Amino acid sequence: MMRHLQKYSPILPVLLAYGVLLGIGLAYPGKWQLIAQLAFYCALGQAFNLFMGMTGYVDFGYVAFLGVGTYGMAVSIYFLYDKGLGIGLIFIGLALAAVFSTGLSLAVGAVALRLRGAYFAIATIGVNEGFRYFVEGARIWNGADGMIFSRHLRKAVGRETAMTLSTQWADILVFGVAVLAAILTLVYMRNKVGYALTALREDEDAAKVMGINVTKFKIIAFITSAVLAGLLGASAWALKLTYVYPEDVFEIHYTVEAIIIVLLGGAGTLLGPIVGALIYGASKYFLAIVLPGFQLLIFAPIIIVIIVLFPEGTVGILKKKIRGTALEKFII
Amino acid sequence: MKNNNVIILLMVFLMMAIFNAQSVFAAKLEKVIIGHPAALSGKYAKAGEQAVAGIQAAVDWVNSVHGGIAVDGKKVPLDYKYYDCESRKESVTSLLERLITSDKVHFTFAPYSSGLTLAGAPIAEKYGMVYMDHGGASDKIFRQGFEYVVQTIGPGSRYHAGTLEMIKKIDPTTNPHPKKIALAYEDSEFARSVMDGAEEKAKELGFDIVFKRTYPKGVTDLTPLLSDLKAAAPDVVIGGGHFQDGQLLNKQMADLGINTRLLSLIAAATLPAFGEALGEFAEGVMGPSHWEYGVTFSKEGAAKEGLTWIGPSQDEYVKLFKKAVGSDTLPDYHAAEASAAVLALVLAVEKVNSVDPDVVRDALGELKFMSFYGNWDIDKTGKQVGHAMVDVQWQKGERKIVWPESAKTADVVYPKPDFK
Amino acid sequence: MIFEQLSGNLLQGVILGGVYGMATMGLSLIFGVLKVVNVGHGAFIMVGAYVALILFQTLGIAPPLAVPVALILGMALGMLFYYTAIKKLLKGPELASLLATFSIGVILEEVCKQLFTSEARGYHWGLDKLDLGFTVLPYSKLIAFGGSILVGLLLYLWFHKTRAGMAMRSVVEDDEGAGVCGINVDWEYALSFSIGIGLTVVSGVLLTMFIPVGINPYMGGSYTLKAFVIAVLGGLASPYGAFFGGLVFGLIENGSYTLFAQIPGLEPFAMTRFFSFVMLLVILLIRPTGLLRTK
Repeated sequence: MMRHLQKYSPILPVLLAYGVLLGIGLAYPGKWQLIAQLAFYCALGQAFNLFMGMTGYVDFGYVAFLGVGTYGMAVSIYFLYDKGLGIGLIFIGLALAAVFSTGLSLAVGAVALRLRGAYFAIATIGVNEGFRYFVEGARIWNGADGMIFSRHLRKAVGRETAMTLSTQWADILVFGVAVLAAILTLVYMRNKVGYALTALREDEDAAKVMGINVTKFKIIAFITSAVLAGLLGASAWALKLTYVYPEDVFEIHYTVEAIIIVLLGGAGTLLGPIVGALIYGASKYFLAIVLPGFQLLIFAPIIIVIIVLFPEGTVGILKKKIRGTALEKFII
Repeated sequence: MKNNNVIILLMVFLMMAIFNAQSVFAAKLEKVIIGHPAALSGKYAKAGEQAVAGIQAAVDWVNSVHGGIAVDGKKVPLDYKYYDCESRKESVTSLLERLITSDKVHFTFAPYSSGLTLAGAPIAEKYGMVYMDHGGASDKIFRQGFEYVVQTIGPGSRYHAGTLEMIKKIDPTTNPHPKKIALAYEDSEFARSVMDGAEEKAKELGFDIVFKRTYPKGVTDLTPLLSDLKAAAPDVVIGGGHFQDGQLLNKQMADLGINTRLLSLIAAATLPAFGEALGEFAEGVMGPSHWEYGVTFSKEGAAKEGLTWIGPSQDEYVKLFKKAVGSDTLPDYHAAEASAAVLALVLAVEKVNSVDPDVVRDALGELKFMSFYGNWDIDKTGKQVGHAMVDVQWQKGERKIVWPESAKTADVVYPKPDFK
Repeated sequence: MIFEQLSGNLLQGVILGGVYGMATMGLSLIFGVLKVVNVGHGAFIMVGAYVALILFQTLGIAPPLAVPVALILGMALGMLFYYTAIKKLLKGPELASLLATFSIGVILEEVCKQLFTSEARGYHWGLDKLDLGFTVLPYSKLIAFGGSILVGLLLYLWFHKTRAGMAMRSVVEDDEGAGVCGINVDWEYALSFSIGIGLTVVSGVLLTMFIPVGINPYMGGSYTLKAFVIAVLGGLASPYGAFFGGLVFGLIENGSYTLFAQIPGLEPFAMTRFFSFVMLLVILLIRPTGLLRTK
């Protein structure tokens, strides 16, 4: 039994990292929003990495899953607020977010997962943009008008609760998504899914010839990653900000942020997204404060330098360094 | 190993920067600070830059001319602190909280746009901070029950009220009226609220809406929509949404030779760059604006209406603005409304002799005043109801205020000249 | 009535599509040779638009004459970015080159914002227009269309009739084989990246002849997305395919508007966008080599 559990020991540093982050947030309430923003980047990176890191497939339209997740929560609060469900609305919202993102990921998976490389990346961009224009063009869920549901949330649960939900519980949910994503990543890594996907990442055709049901495992990882994104959207964008506009949530920029985070930390590693998110989030915040208006100009060249000089990411390098030491068991 | 050291050093440095907890508790008020997670880059950079310079100009006026804010029996300087939220919703919350908790600002300003204003509202509400909305025009913000959001920009639904009344009044073909109105606008919450307001007003005045279609954001060619519009043969076209698409709409209407009696474009047509970009095609094009260089609000006018006057005169303001922005740029309404929000705060603080947010918020609710920006008055939800818009028209390469009659700097050219 | 409108739209669509096609050739060339998707594509179009704008406003140079300047500037930028970033990422994962080209786009946008502010600008060339009855065509649009065809033609000739062009084609076919035959593959990569960027910047100039207004640092994004659809229509790796892809795209975008406008309750313009992305997916699924290729 002990031995069985030992293979999951790399989760310890991850839990430690999230615990420390959460602890800092609780100890310094005035920094909570910053911690929440960092947690959002962690969760985004962790969820994105689950599929991209293991398979090497770059889902450029990943943000679409966050988008439909946001709508899941929004629809629940906006349309059901007067049904006397109270806090139950939030659970319905999370459930809807999961359903919507599963649905979309099945549809995308059926089409795009047959493609590889750049074709896959472009197809997923197409899905994201297409979906956004469908929402706007067919006036689904108010179309481009979006939904503003601060009032609805307040009516449903009361002013105080609504405020705590938006400024605290939404962020704790984000932590939850991040931890869940990390745990699932590790479980997949240590099981058949992970082995199959590693084989796939190295050489998809060879993996197929070996008799591995590549498609099945790809879809499992894809849907898991999508649902996590949906939950993240529901908490970080809908519950926290209490409004949704399609142009704001189906914005490719967030996929790029996810890619940057994963790359900074090291694609396919467990700890990487956390390290990447902390570096990315903290430096972004820092630049916004000291050089307002210039952060992108400074950030973009730095990113190029990092990809060129450290393509394996921070944790990738670290892994190499500690090979053969006792730490090896904990850092993957 | 060297690399690692650098990385660790960098991390320590960043952490220090973030947690430079300013534990200095000011026992008595030394200065009043306003904090602003401004949109200085990203999609709202243009309006965000204007707003920041507008606030700087107003703060400059308060300190150098007004002599500071009178609180607790002495004048203290006004300070302005801003960060860049990159026009991104998730950055608004953390920067706003930093302003409140570490920078200990006394009042907060929202970033530009309705969306970003909404993103910060829960944080402002949580900390009970007055949250000045200078660029979020959506009426819906004020139906949410926020207690600390105070609007200076006028609500979107009233943008075209004046324009339509003007047509009704001056069109010589009173019977039959130029009845056919076409609405062609960007599919965004803001443009929709403006156009729904226009539609309602037009119906009230007895106009016919013959065409109402949107185009998506980021559009690069409007030809199909405009050929459709042309077929409806409207007398009046009202449309637009932002800067680029407004220019595009005007240009392609000219290309297709769609001539109307009036063309009014929101946002785009009120900016100096519009006339420069379109040259002769801009001739006669109108746009509703919250404020425009040339409006005639003055201290005397305020006295006549029995209102308090505060702030610089228009020319002084423009000078201060140019100093703040460091170039020969003219302020547009995005700057003016942000400046007016600062002036409103100053008046409210001085009136109640306190910087307590709740007290100041109540004072803002009572406040009515006039500045170079015009009248200012909010209803009990915080929505701006006192400010009236003006209509500008491009005449021989210059923007003239043509409506309302009390503010006009030139007579309106109506019907507008045909495209060459 | 509706047919008149439809035919007008379709004609406008062809002309616009030609320019879009030209604006995509650079993307396809770079993908074809280097297998790199240039996510910062639109930013280079934006650079071209500023070249046309600045030359016209400061020196009074007519936009067509800005083309050589744009080509040289674009090729120089291409060389710069190839040797500083792209070259080192060719063997790496897709992720790296996608992120690098995206970052290059951001750098260009932010530099242009510092240079020219984020104001939307435009120029007024003031040529006459051609009235066809069912629709009106300004001459500047026709010149842009003609220019696009000419550039496409020149590229074709260069590829098929010059040694340098044939060398590049051999790299597309088989880069190792080409290397064995004494072709400097690295130089061919650099050259194609540079030509690809040059073409894209030129297309920015031509696009302003079509739409001379709304020029701002962030205008590129919607062109990048359009270029992806068009490139896929044309088979992604083929510059001429991209040109025809552009024509098809222009026809579909303008034609489908009229059809969607007949359905009540829809916003036809957004639906045309939706439709074009659906098409992208369908083509990727059933015919990833593009609509027009027989192979």
